[in-house]
Amino acid sequence: MNPLAEKYLRKEFLPFLFCPGCGDGIIVHSFLKAVDELGIIDDLAMTSGIGCSAWIPVYMHADVLKVLHGRAIPAAIGLKASRPSRKVVVFSGDGDCMAIGGNHFIHAARRNIDMTVVVVNNQIYAMTGGQVAPSTGVGSRTQTTPYGNLEKPLDFCKLAIGAGATMVSRWSTAHPKELSRTFKKALNHKGFSFVEVVSQCPVQTGRYILGSGSPQFNLQWIKDNCLPAKNPAQWAELEAQGKIPVGDIMQVEKSEFMEEVARMNQQVKEAAAQGGEN
Amino acid sequence: MIAAEKIEIDSRYCKGCMLCGHVCEFDVFEVGQTRSALDYLMPRVANLSNCKLCRKCQTFCPEMTLSVVAKKKKEGGV
Amino acid sequence: MKKGRIKVMLGNEACAEAAILAGCRFYGGYPITPATEILEAMSRRLPLVDGLCLQMEDEIAALVAAVGASVGGTKSMTATSGPGFCLMQEAVGLAVAVEAPVVIVNVQRGGPASGQSTSTAQGDFYQARYGSNGDYSLIVLCPSTAQEMFDHTIKAFNLSERFRIPVIILSDEVVGHIREKVFIPEAEELHFVERKAPTMPMEQYLPFKAEENGVPLMAAFNSGYKVPMISQAKSLNGNRGNAKEAAENIRRIVAKVEDYMDEFAEVQVYGDENAPTAFVTFGSLCRAARSAVDMGKEIGLALRSVEVKTVWPFPDKLVRDALAGAQRIVVAEMNLGMMKREVERVIRQPEIEIELFSKIGGIYPQPQEFLRFLEGKR
Repeated sequence: MNPLAEKYLRKEFLPFLFCPGCGDGIIVHSFLKAVDELGIIDDLAMTSGIGCSAWIPVYMHADVLKVLHGRAIPAAIGLKASRPSRKVVVFSGDGDCMAIGGNHFIHAARRNIDMTVVVVNNQIYAMTGGQVAPSTGVGSRTQTTPYGNLEKPLDFCKLAIGAGATMVSRWSTAHPKELSRTFKKALNHKGFSFVEVVSQCPVQTGRYILGSGSPQFNLQWIKDNCLPAKNPAQWAELEAQGKIPVGDIMQVEKSEFMEEVARMNQQVKEAAAQGGEN
Repeated sequence: MIAAEKIEIDSRYCKGCMLCGHVCEFDVFEVGQTRSALDYLMPRVANLSNCKLCRKCQTFCPEMTLSVVAKKKKEGGV
Repeated sequence: MKKGRIKVMLGNEACAEAAILAGCRFYGGYPITPATEILEAMSRRLPLVDGLCLQMEDEIAALVAAVGASVGGTKSMTATSGPGFCLMQEAVGLAVAVEAPVVIVNVQRGGPASGQSTSTAQGDFYQARYGSNGDYSLIVLCPSTAQEMFDHTIKAFNLSERFRIPVIILSDEVVGHIREKVFIPEAEELHFVERKAPTMPMEQYLPFKAEENGVPLMAAFNSGYKVPMISQAKSLNGNRGNAKEAAENIRRIVAKVEDYMDEFAEVQVYGDENAPTAFVTFGSLCRAARSAVDMGKEIGLALRSVEVKTVWPFPDKLVRDALAGAQRIVVAEMNLGMMKREVERVIRQPEIEIELFSKIGGIYPQPQEFLRFLEGKR
C-alpha cells in the first residue's frame, strides 16, 4: 500500500469504488501528496456532490460533507462562513460542477471566496452510464447522443476566469507531479482557486468516445492530447491544433470575500458602539 | 547504487489495470497469474533489478495500492 | 414576570429578532415576497454579532449553504415562500440525511407556481411534510401571531438542535406581514438547546450511532473527529450502508422524531372546550377563528377553536382529545382541504362528517364568514 494511503485513507472505506484504471485514484494521490507536504489535513473541510469524482474526498481521513448533485459549492460556502480559518476544498465533476452546479460555480468565483474547486473532467457522465456532458466534444457518440453530439463543449478555465476566479489551472492525470504542485499552490492561494483535471474514464469515455476501454490506452490518450503550455500564445496555439493545453493559466491577488466580511463586521460594530443601538 | 528493495502490491485492493506497467519505462512489470482479493489478475514484478526508483508506478497507481521500497544504504556508506 | 421589552414589529422581523437571540449566525437567503423582510432584517443584524447573512444565487444554494454552516458548527437558517420552498426541497432531504440542524421559514403565499405573490394561503401544508424524496420526518410549526413568529423561531432552533433535523416554520403572508406587539424576553429568560458534541476519542466515535435519545452526537467539522458525512443512506461509521444498514438508518431518522412527539407537539383550544361545534385551524386562520368564537359567544353560540400549532408530525392524539365530544367539526384552512384529510384520518366516527371551510384566492376570511358557514350548512 502506498505510504500516503496508509497515512491518510479511511481503511474501512476501501477499496475505492472507482473502476479499474480510473483517474480519480491518481487525483487522490496527487492531492494527498500536496496535503502531506503542507501538513494541513486537520484544517481541511471538503465537500463534494454526486458523481464518480464526488467520492474522491470521502476516502480521505478528514472532514467531508458529500451533498446533492451540483451543490458542493454552496455547502462549501456555508462551511467557510462558519469558520473562515478552514481550508475548504470542493471535489466535483464536469457535469456536477458545470451543468447542474454551473450557477453556484459562477457566483462563488465572482465572490472570490477562499476555496479550492477541483473539477475532474472526464468528458462524460460516467456514474450514470455514459451520457453527454457539457465537456463532451462535438460529434462524440454517447448514450444520449447516439447520432453524435451537436453541442460545443464548455471551456471551464475560460468560464472560471470570466467569472472572477483568482487562480486558474488545468492539468491532467498524465501530469500527477505538476498536478500535486498546483494543488499546493491552490491550497495556499487566498481566494477562489480553480483546478481542472482532465482525467481518463476507460469504461465510459474510453469505450464510447475514444474507442477503447483499456486503461493504458486511455491514459496514453490523455498524455498525447494534454500538452503543457508555457504562455497564452502557446495555449491558443495548442487549442488551434485540437489539443488540450494544460498549465497554470493565471493567478492574481484580489481582496478575499471572508476577509472583507470580517472587515465590514468590524466597522459596523464600531459604528454601532459609537451611535448606540438603533 | 539506486535500487529497489521490493515493490509491494497490496492484493486486497489491486484492480489489475496495469497502469503501473504502462507508465514504467524499465519493463519492471508484467501481467501475473495471481488474482487479487477483488478477483483481478495482478501485475507481477518481473524485473526488479531494472527499477530506477522513479516511482511513476506508485504515483500512477489508481488504487494507491502499490509502493516501491528503496534499498537501505549500507551502514558506513556515503 | 419575565424581564424583557415590548416592541411593535412585523411578524417577519420578530422571526429575525428571535433567530439572533437563539444564536443563529449564518443566514443564506434569496429575496422572495412575502418573506424578504427576514432576509433584510438578518442582513442588518448579523454583522453586529459577527455573523454572516449571504444572499445566494438561488434558494437551493441558500439552504445548502445553511446546511454547510450548520455542519461547520454554526446555527443557521433560511426563509422563503412557496416557489423558493420548491427549490429547497432537495436540501430539506439533505439536511435530514446528514442530520444537520437548520431552521427553514416558509412564509406561504398563493400557489401553484408563481401563484399570488402578495396574497396569503396555506397550500404548502403537505409540501412542508412530504416535499422531499423518500421516507423522513421533521417538525413543522405554525405561528398565527407576530409573537408566535418570535416564540416559534426560538422553539424551532431548539428542536432542530435537539433532534438534528430541519425544522420548518410554516407561516403565511398574514402572519409575516402583520405588525403587532411582540414581547422580547431578555436572553437569560430564555432556554436554549445546543447539539451534543462527542467527548470520546476519535477512534471510538461513530458519527451516525444514536444515543439514548435517538440522536447521534454531532462533531462539528475541524473539531478533531474527521467526520464523513454523505447524503446517501449510511452505516454507523458514515460509509454507504448495505440494505440492512440503510434500512436501519432510515428507520432511525424517522423514529428519532416521531417517538418523541410528546416533547414538542402542541394543540391549543380557544373558547368553550365542551362546545358541540369545533373549528380546527392552523396558522393565521386561528386569528379569524378566535374572533368567530368570540362573536358566537356574544349571541349564545358555544364554539371551540382547535389550533394545531405543530402540524407535522400531525399530533393525532392531541387533536383527538381536543375534539372530544364535538358533534360538528369544521376544518378551516386556506387551501382546498389539506388538513381536513388529516382530521378525517384522526376522527374515525362515521356519524360525524368532517366539514371544510375553505378560503382560497388570497382573501383572508372575515370572522362572520365562519358563522355564516355554520348557518348555511345546516
